[in-house]
Amino acid sequence: MYAGLGETISERAGVINLGTEGSMLVGALGGYVATSATGSPRLGVLGGAALGALLASVHAVLVVLRGANQFASGLALVFLAFGLTALYGAPYVSGTINFFQTWAIPGLSSIPLVGPVLFDHDPLTYLGYLAAPLLWWVLFRTRAGLIVRTAGERADALEVHGYSVVKVRCAAVAVGGALAGVGGAQISLALTQGTWYENVTAGRGFIAVALVIFAMWNPILVLAGSYLFGVALSLGSALQTQGIAVNQAILGALPFVLTLAILAILGKRTLLAAPDELLRVLDNSKTT
Amino acid sequence: MSVTVSAEPAPAEPAGPPPSPAEAPGESLASRALATTLRWVVALGGALVVFGAFVMANGANPLQVYSDIWSSTLARGTSLQQILILATPIVLTALAVVVPARGGMVNVGGEGQLIIGAVAAAGVGLMLDQRVNGTVVLILMLVAGTVAGALWAGVAAAMRLTVRVNEAVTTLLLNYVALFVMQYLIIGPWRDPGQNGRIASRELETGALLPVLGSSKVHIGIAIAVIATVAVWVLLRFTTWGFRLSVVGGNAEAARRAGFNVRKLLLGALLLGGAFAGLAGVIHLTGKEYQLVSTFGANIGYLGFLASWLARHRPIPVLVASFALAAIAIAGDSLQLRSGLPAPTVNILLGLVLIAVLGWTTKKGAKP
Repeated sequence: MYAGLGETISERAGVINLGTEGSMLVGALGGYVATSATGSPRLGVLGGAALGALLASVHAVLVVLRGANQFASGLALVFLAFGLTALYGAPYVSGTINFFQTWAIPGLSSIPLVGPVLFDHDPLTYLGYLAAPLLWWVLFRTRAGLIVRTAGERADALEVHGYSVVKVRCAAVAVGGALAGVGGAQISLALTQGTWYENVTAGRGFIAVALVIFAMWNPILVLAGSYLFGVALSLGSALQTQGIAVNQAILGALPFVLTLAILAILGKRTLLAAPDELLRVLDNSKTT
Repeated sequence: MSVTVSAEPAPAEPAGPPPSPAEAPGESLASRALATTLRWVVALGGALVVFGAFVMANGANPLQVYSDIWSSTLARGTSLQQILILATPIVLTALAVVVPARGGMVNVGGEGQLIIGAVAAAGVGLMLDQRVNGTVVLILMLVAGTVAGALWAGVAAAMRLTVRVNEAVTTLLLNYVALFVMQYLIIGPWRDPGQNGRIASRELETGALLPVLGSSKVHIGIAIAVIATVAVWVLLRFTTWGFRLSVVGGNAEAARRAGFNVRKLLLGALLLGGAFAGLAGVIHLTGKEYQLVSTFGANIGYLGFLASWLARHRPIPVLVASFALAAIAIAGDSLQLRSGLPAPTVNILLGLVLIAVLGWTTKKGAKP
């Protein structure tokens, strides 16, 4: 969810970042290491955010300053992150640390069906509920948001008004990376309950990129979309606890197939909502 | 029609990812060539230095590591064979990137197309290899894998051409789907119980495997890869189809006005790319692994992507780039043994190389 929100900022400014997966990965390790050093998962989240932003900054430099291909650059960062986390994460494999316990919100969490799905989570999830509307407000109701969106819609207009598109885009990509880093930290500090292993993010960053497309670059819809995945995933484990044997590969494929299916259904429609500068990248040869 | 066409026709075009700026004819001026070479040397050297720093920070001697990489790869005959065996599918998956890139598309799906190619081939092989003549089975497997790879890329192509979802996003997601399809099969229906708990399919009969060259372990796949590379070079350089495709890659609007069927060209390019990756899967299966295992593929598709970028999407240099990447990947294993660094550490080097190539060998002034 955080990765999706981060990618929204970046793409609203006109830069697509496949390196989100990489930012999540270094964020997951950063969160883990910082927590294991300080004992505080809160500082872990900060560590994750910092590393995520750092990696995304490399993307910003390559794409915004050097004009490199966005998809290739993003993938390069995934390689880099995978290698770095394997190297620096090796001593932490099979360790455990202090992690975020789930907080069941009293009262609300006992509502049948809806309760456990919405109100029995780690604190980062609740923060995400707040972050999505906040991000929406910043993007659509503040001056800073307007500048970011203009960088994605009509970059030349922004230049005319004396802003630097380069700076705006770099900042947007870095903030996006920080959020992806938080998303990564959430994985190692909450979802896996304080364990770290190689490639712990398992493609979630790529799903986030696709999620942003079908959420039509709207933070609130990103939140809703992430929820859809949460439900799809927990459906699998729910079936298994019911004693219905499901091949684990099918469960693994589910989020990816679901993403592709939704893209196939909504694809064309969502492009109408795409930031114009991004459209040039997504729709690079203007077919149809 | 696209919404943006009327707004800004001219500046929109150079902004798209140009496949290979260095390919323009007339680039062969000596001074230009020298400057380009220098840039490459600086970029690649820089990547090596930065990686060396990482290695040093982890308590290993970078010079030692590099000399280990050197001595454990090119200086030993058996390693050289391993490198050639690994380079073969890398070349083919790189071609899977080269062809669509000529039309301005980014195929990140070589990995998935390779896996699906291998799955289709394994399906044919497991069904027939004990009943039918081996050579026949092998040929059927090659066909099945190639077609499967093309169809897998076809899913992304269809989504690109009908609902206009970018192929980079879909091919990437399809990689994971392919991986899970294969895992489903080897956990479930195709699982061979005689593997001592290892999750894998049955090994194919010897007759259905690719023949090897002489007394070495190198199979004829390397010849197939070289022939395919030359074929792609001829196709892109000397045929009308190749010319039209690069016009589409340069300026799709101009191509349309010239009366080209842009959609058909793009579809063809992506399908052909997928076919090469599928072929890579069959060759890797019948020449190296002999069975489907849970780690089948092992990033070969991504290495191919990298090789294509290193070669600036030109077919002949792809051979060199693939060989170099295969050498680095093989060296990764020896790195683990000798310096105690985890094998995926070489991914840092790969990432740095790609970053260096993207950042310091692109022409300045190109806007994203």
